[in-house]
Amino acid sequence: MRDHGTFLLNGERHEIRDMSPTTTLLNYLREDQKLTGTKEGCAEGDCGACTVVVSELVDGAVQHRAVNACIQFLPMLEGKSVTTVERLRGPGGTLHPCQQALVDTHGSQCGFCTPGFAMSLFAAYEDRQGKGLDRDTANDVLAGNLCRCTGYGPIITAAETMGDLPAPQWGEDRAARELRALEALCHTDTVKVASTDQQFFAPATLGEFAELFAEFPDATIVAGATDVGLWVTKRHMHLKTIIYTGRVQGFAHIAVSDNTLTIGAGATYSDAIQTLAEHFPDLGELVRRIGSTQVRNAGTIGGNIANGSPIGDCPPALIALNATLVLRTGDAQRRIPLEDFFVDYGVQDRKPGEFVEAIEVPLLENPDQFRCYKLTKRFDQDISAVCGCFHVTVDDGQVSSARIAYGGMAATPKRASAVEAALVGKAWTMETCEAALSKFSEDFSPMTDMRASSDYRMRSAQNLLIKYFVEGTEPLSTTRLVGRGSTIAGGANHA
Amino acid sequence: MTHSSDFNAEKASNLKVIGTRPARPDGVDKVTGRARFGADMNLPGQLVGRILRSPHPHAIIKSIDTSAAEALDGVKAVVTRDDFAENPDNHAVLCNVMAREKALYEGHTVAAVAASTATIARKALKLINVDYEPLPHVTDVDAAMQPDAPVLHDTIFTSGVDPVPTIPSNIVARCEFGHGDVEAGFAKADIIVERELKTAATHQGYIEPHACVASVSTDGMSELWCCTQGHFDDRKICAALLGIDVSRLRVTASEIGGGFGGKTTVFIEPVALALSRKAGRPVKIVMSREEVFKASGPTASTSMRVKIGVTNDGRMTACDGEFRLQGGAFEGSPFDSAAMTAFACYDLENVKSVAFDVVVNRPKGAAYRAPGAPMSVYGVESVVDEVALKIGMDPIEFRLKNAVRDGSQSSYGPKFGPNGLVETLEAAKAHPQYKTPLGPNQGRGIASGFWFNYGGETCSNLNINADGTVTLAVGTPDIGGSRASMCMMAAEELGIPYDSVRATVVDTGALGFNEGSYGSRVTYASGLAIINAAQQAITEMCKRASMMWDIPADAVTWEDGYAKPSGANAGEFEPMSLAEIAAIAANTGGPIAGHREHNADSAGISFGTHIVDTEVDPETGRVDVLRYTVIQDAGKAIHPDYVEGQFQGGAVQGIGWALNEEYIYGDDGKLQNAGFLDYRVPVASDLPMIDTVIVEVPNPGHPYGVRGVGETGIVPPLAAVANSVSAAAGVRLSELPMSPPRVLKAMDDAKQAAE
Ligand SMILES: Cc1cc2nc3c(=O)[nH]c(=O)nc-3n(C[C@H](O)[C@H](O)[C@H](O)COP(=O)(O)OP(=O)(O)OC[C@H]3O[C@@H](n4cnc5c(N)ncnc54)[C@H](O)[C@@H]3O)c2cc1C
Ligand code: FES
Ligand code: FES
Repeated sequence: MRDHGTFLLNGERHEIRDMSPTTTLLNYLREDQKLTGTKEGCAEGDCGACTVVVSELVDGAVQHRAVNACIQFLPMLEGKSVTTVERLRGPGGTLHPCQQALVDTHGSQCGFCTPGFAMSLFAAYEDRQGKGLDRDTANDVLAGNLCRCTGYGPIITAAETMGDLPAPQWGEDRAARELRALEALCHTDTVKVASTDQQFFAPATLGEFAELFAEFPDATIVAGATDVGLWVTKRHMHLKTIIYTGRVQGFAHIAVSDNTLTIGAGATYSDAIQTLAEHFPDLGELVRRIGSTQVRNAGTIGGNIANGSPIGDCPPALIALNATLVLRTGDAQRRIPLEDFFVDYGVQDRKPGEFVEAIEVPLLENPDQFRCYKLTKRFDQDISAVCGCFHVTVDDGQVSSARIAYGGMAATPKRASAVEAALVGKAWTMETCEAALSKFSEDFSPMTDMRASSDYRMRSAQNLLIKYFVEGTEPLSTTRLVGRGSTIAGGANHA
Repeated sequence: MTHSSDFNAEKASNLKVIGTRPARPDGVDKVTGRARFGADMNLPGQLVGRILRSPHPHAIIKSIDTSAAEALDGVKAVVTRDDFAENPDNHAVLCNVMAREKALYEGHTVAAVAASTATIARKALKLINVDYEPLPHVTDVDAAMQPDAPVLHDTIFTSGVDPVPTIPSNIVARCEFGHGDVEAGFAKADIIVERELKTAATHQGYIEPHACVASVSTDGMSELWCCTQGHFDDRKICAALLGIDVSRLRVTASEIGGGFGGKTTVFIEPVALALSRKAGRPVKIVMSREEVFKASGPTASTSMRVKIGVTNDGRMTACDGEFRLQGGAFEGSPFDSAAMTAFACYDLENVKSVAFDVVVNRPKGAAYRAPGAPMSVYGVESVVDEVALKIGMDPIEFRLKNAVRDGSQSSYGPKFGPNGLVETLEAAKAHPQYKTPLGPNQGRGIASGFWFNYGGETCSNLNINADGTVTLAVGTPDIGGSRASMCMMAAEELGIPYDSVRATVVDTGALGFNEGSYGSRVTYASGLAIINAAQQAITEMCKRASMMWDIPADAVTWEDGYAKPSGANAGEFEPMSLAEIAAIAANTGGPIAGHREHNADSAGISFGTHIVDTEVDPETGRVDVLRYTVIQDAGKAIHPDYVEGQFQGGAVQGIGWALNEEYIYGDDGKLQNAGFLDYRVPVASDLPMIDTVIVEVPNPGHPYGVRGVGETGIVPPLAAVANSVSAAAGVRLSELPMSPPRVLKAMDDAKQAAE
C-alpha cells in the first residue's frame, strides 16, 4: 500500500500526503498552488467556473474530460493528469484555438466564466481532433458552464469556429509527453492518503475493494463524488474513511452478452452513454440530460442508484427496463430486482459491507417501445420534478405487459402498479390510457416542494402516459421535447 | 478650454475608430486565467473571515456570547454589532451589514470571525452563542402591506401620504407621478382592461461571488481589495461605517465577475475591515453561493394593478397603475423608478402611476439592471397587448400610434427630447422575424421599454507617455468592455491608433471621486470625461508645438494625430506628431496630460423593442424560446460588439426572469433554492441566438451622440415573453415566472372554464 497519492498537474508531478483527503481539487489549485485561473462560482458543480480537464489512460490512449474541480477530492486524481487554464497557452504564448476563438468572438464580457468555458471547449477540441462543434453539440458540451453576461451567442460562435483556426504547434509534442508521463504513473498498489482523522483508500482491484469495505463497513464509498462532494462542500460533513471506486479494474466494465447489458457500478455516464444509446435510445437521451458534461464525466450510474434519491434519473428508467441489481459483500454476490432495492426514503436494501457491483439490463426486442420523459424547468443541468419511464408491449393491439416507473412522485423511485394493471390486457388505445389516468392516485400522492406542486406532478405524470401513447402511435414528431440532434450519444462526430 | 458635450453632427459622421470592433485589451487575460478577480487576491499573513448568519427570518437578538469562539486556538478576531458604532446617516446599510437589535431575514449577518484556517473559522462560528427570540415574519409584499402584518421596524411611518400615519407599518413610502385626469380619460374609452399581476424576486446571478481582502494597519491606514462596481462608493460607505477618514482608506477594484447592479453596495467589506482592524492582520472574506443568494441584494418582488383605456381606433385615453415593491428588510426598493418608467413609452393625456416601497423579511435588495422598470413595464405591456388584441389592432401599430416622440410629455414629468422609440418600432415591423409564420402551439410577443440612463460624478485622467503611447486612468470598474471603449474614444480624439492607448481602472488614491459603474453611465460619463481630457491634452500639445515653432498657440490646430500650423501668418512647418511632441515634452514644460472632472447631466434616455417567438408544450407546460430579436436605440455604438453584448445579456436575463428564475420562500420564511441548481438561470440550450438591431438616434448631449445601453435591454423581455407565451398557450398568465407548472395550470384552468 502506498501512503501517498501521485498525479500530474500541468505536466508536473504532485504528491499528495499528510493532508485532508477531502481537500477538493479546486482548493488545492487555488489555495495551495495559487493557480487562481480556475474559478469558484458555486462549489456545488452547478456553474462550471472551476472546470479543468482530467486526462487518463484508457486502453493505452489518453482520454480528456472536463470535470468540475470543486467537487473532486484530490486523491481521486491518482495516476491522472490535470490541465488548468494556465496551461492552455503554448510555449511562445500562442493562444490555444479555443482561447483565440473566444477572444475573436468577444466571448467574454466580465470574463469570470471564461476559463471554465475555455476548458470545456479545450476538452471537446482534443476529443474531436481539433474540430469545431455544431450548435447542438456545443449546447451539450457547454450545458455545465453558466455565463450571465453574454447570452451565450458569442461563445457558441467560438465553439463553432475554433476548428477553423490553425492547430496548435505544440500539440503533438505535448500529447506524447503526457502519454509517457501517464504511463509512468501506472501501478496497481492500493493508495492511501490520510490526515490525523481522515483516511482515503484507492484500491486497484475488486478484491481489495471488497476487503477494504469489509474492514471498514462504515466507510463512505466514493465514485464520481457528484453527490458526495456536495456533502463536504455544502453540508460540511466530516468523512472519516473513504473508499474510492475509480481505480478499481473492471468496475467500469460495460458489456453485452446473452441479451443482457451489464453496467459496472463504476461506469460513468460518459463511459456508458454510447452503449446505452445504442440499445435504448431514450435512455441515452435521458442520460444526456443528467447534469452536464462535467457531471456526466465524473458521475456514475452505480452512484445514482446507491444514493437512493427519489429524484435520481436512472432508477425509474432502469426499473421500467426490469433491471437487476448486483450487490456484493466480500466474495458473495446477491441479485435483486432493482425496484426492490428502494425500500423507503433514505432506506435501501443494502447490508453493512455490501456494495453495488453492477446493473444488469435485459435488452429489448423493440427499443423504441421504451421511452423516458424528464420534466424540468431547464432542459439541461436540472433536477427532475418528475421523471416518467415507460415500457409497454403490445401484441395484436392488446397490451401484453406494462412497466411504468416514476421518479419524483414518491419517497422512492416507484412503479405505477395500479396504472400498469389498468392497461394490461386492454386494447392499446387512447381510451384505455384515459381510463387508466384515475389509477394514478392509487399509486402516488406526490408532495409539493420548490420544484413543483403536488398538483403539477400528478397532472404531468398523467399527461406523460398520454404523451407516451401519442408518440408511440404517431411517427417521432415535434411533440418530442427537444434533442436527438446531438452528436454526444454515439453520434457521427464522436471521435 | 471648453468642454463641449453637445452633439456634433459633423464629427459624428467622420469617426474613424468609433464604430469599429477592435479586440478588447483584456481579452487575452480573460481566456488565460490571468485576470485577477476578487477572490484571486491574497496577502501575506492573511486570515480567513467567515460570517455567522441568522437562521431566523425575524428575531430579536437578545444576546451574543462570543467568548468560546474567541478562546479557540487560531481565532484572531470576532466582531458583532458592538464593533460598529451607531450611524444615523447610514443606518440601513449598517444594520444590513451587521444586525443590531433584530435579525431581519434568514442569512442576516450576526457576527463574524477571522481565523487562521477556514476549518477553524467554521468551528468558531459554531461556538458563538446567540440568544434569539423569534418573531412572526412576512415575506410576501401584499401580506406585508396588510394592517395585521408583523411590523419589521417600529420607526417606519409611511411617507408621501397625507396625513402621515401615526402607527408604524411596513409601507415605507408612497409616490405618485402623472398628469391629466384619468377618470375623465377612462370615460372616453371604448374599452378598458384592468389586471392584477405579480413578479417574483430574482437575483442578478453574477457568477463571481462577493469577495474582498481588507488590511488595516496599526496606525489606521486601511486598504481594501474587492470586486465592486464602485470602489469610490465603497470607500465612502466603509469609511463612514468604521469611522475612518476617507483619506486613510484606499480601495482597489479587482476585475469584476459580473454585477448588473448587485455589486454597487457593500456587504462583507466593512466586516472584513472590522475584523482586520481587530486582528491586526489582513482578512479575506469570500461569500459562498448560498450566501450570495441569501445575503446579497436580490431584486424586488412586486404586485401591481394596471388599468388602460383605449378608443376603438387605438388611441390610449387613460392609464392608471399601482405598483407595490418589496425591497427586502430595509427601505429602498426601486418603487419610484418602477412608477416612472411604467408608462414612459406612451404619449398620454391622462396618466397616473402610484408606487409603494414595502419592507419584508428578505435580504435588502440591491440594484439590478434598470431597477424597477422590468416589473412595471411587464404589467403595462401585458395590458397593452391585451387591449390591442381586443380592438383587433397589430401590437406594433398600436404602439406606434401611441408612442412618445421628440417633444412628448413624459408620463413622469419632463418633456422628452429626440429619442428612438418610433425607430425601434419601425425596425421591429420591418424585421424578418415579425413576418415569419408561426406553427401550432407557437406565439409571438412584442414589448417596448424605457430606461433613463444616468451620468453623475466622474473624473478621468489621460497621460501622454514619452514614447507616444497614451494611458488612461479611469475610476469606473470595467463591467462590460468599457476599457476598450475608453481607449477608442481617446484614440478617436487624439487621432492615434487604438493600440497605442491603454486604460486602467485605478484605485481610489489615484483619482477624484467617481460614482460607480451603474445607471448605464460608464461609456457616457467616463467616456465624455476622456474625450474632454483628450481635448485638453490636445490644447497642451498644440501649445508645445507652437513653442517649438515660435508661433502663437492659436495658430496651431490638431488633425489626425498631428499638430499643424494653420492660419494666415502661422508659417510653414512640418506637422509634429503626438509621438514627436511627447518625446520632447521634458524640454517644453514637462509631462503632458489631460484630465476632466464633471457631473455629467445629459445622459440620453433610451428605448427598446423586443420580438420573441415561443412554443408551449401543451402536456407539460414547458416553454421554448424559438427566436428573439432585440432592437434598441444606442445613440451611437462605440464598439458595436459590446453594445450587442449588452443587448443580448440583458435580454437573456429577462428571459430567465420571465420563465424560470425566482426566489422561493417556504412558510418558515426561509429561502428554498439558494443555489444555481434550483435557482435556474438560462444555460446555452435554453436560448436561441439572440438577434440584435442597433438603432442610432443621437443623444443631443454627447458629441458622438452616445446613449447608455447597459440596462434598457432587460426592460422589455419580461413582457415580450409573457405576451408571446399567452399567444402560444391561448391564455394570459398574470404571474412571473411562467414556469411549466404555472403554464400548465393556466391552460388547464382555461380549458375547464371553457367546458
Ligand atoms: C450539478 C449536478 C447536477 C446533477 N444532475 C443530476 C441529474 O440531472 N439527474 C440525476 O439523477 N442526478 C443528478 N445529479 C446527482 C449525481 O450526479 C448523480 O446522482 C450521480 O449519478 C452520482 O454518482 P457519483 O458517481 O458521482 O456518486 P458519488 O457521489 O460518488 O456517490 C453517491 C452515493 O452512492 C454511493 N456509492 C457510489 N458507488 C457505490 C457503490 N458501487 N456501491 C455502494 N454505494 C456506492 C456513495 O457512497 C454515495 O452514497 C447531479 C449532481 C450535480 C452536482
Ligand atoms: S465552482 Fe461552480 S461548478 Fe465548480
Ligand atoms: S462573461 Fe461574465 S459570466 Fe460569462
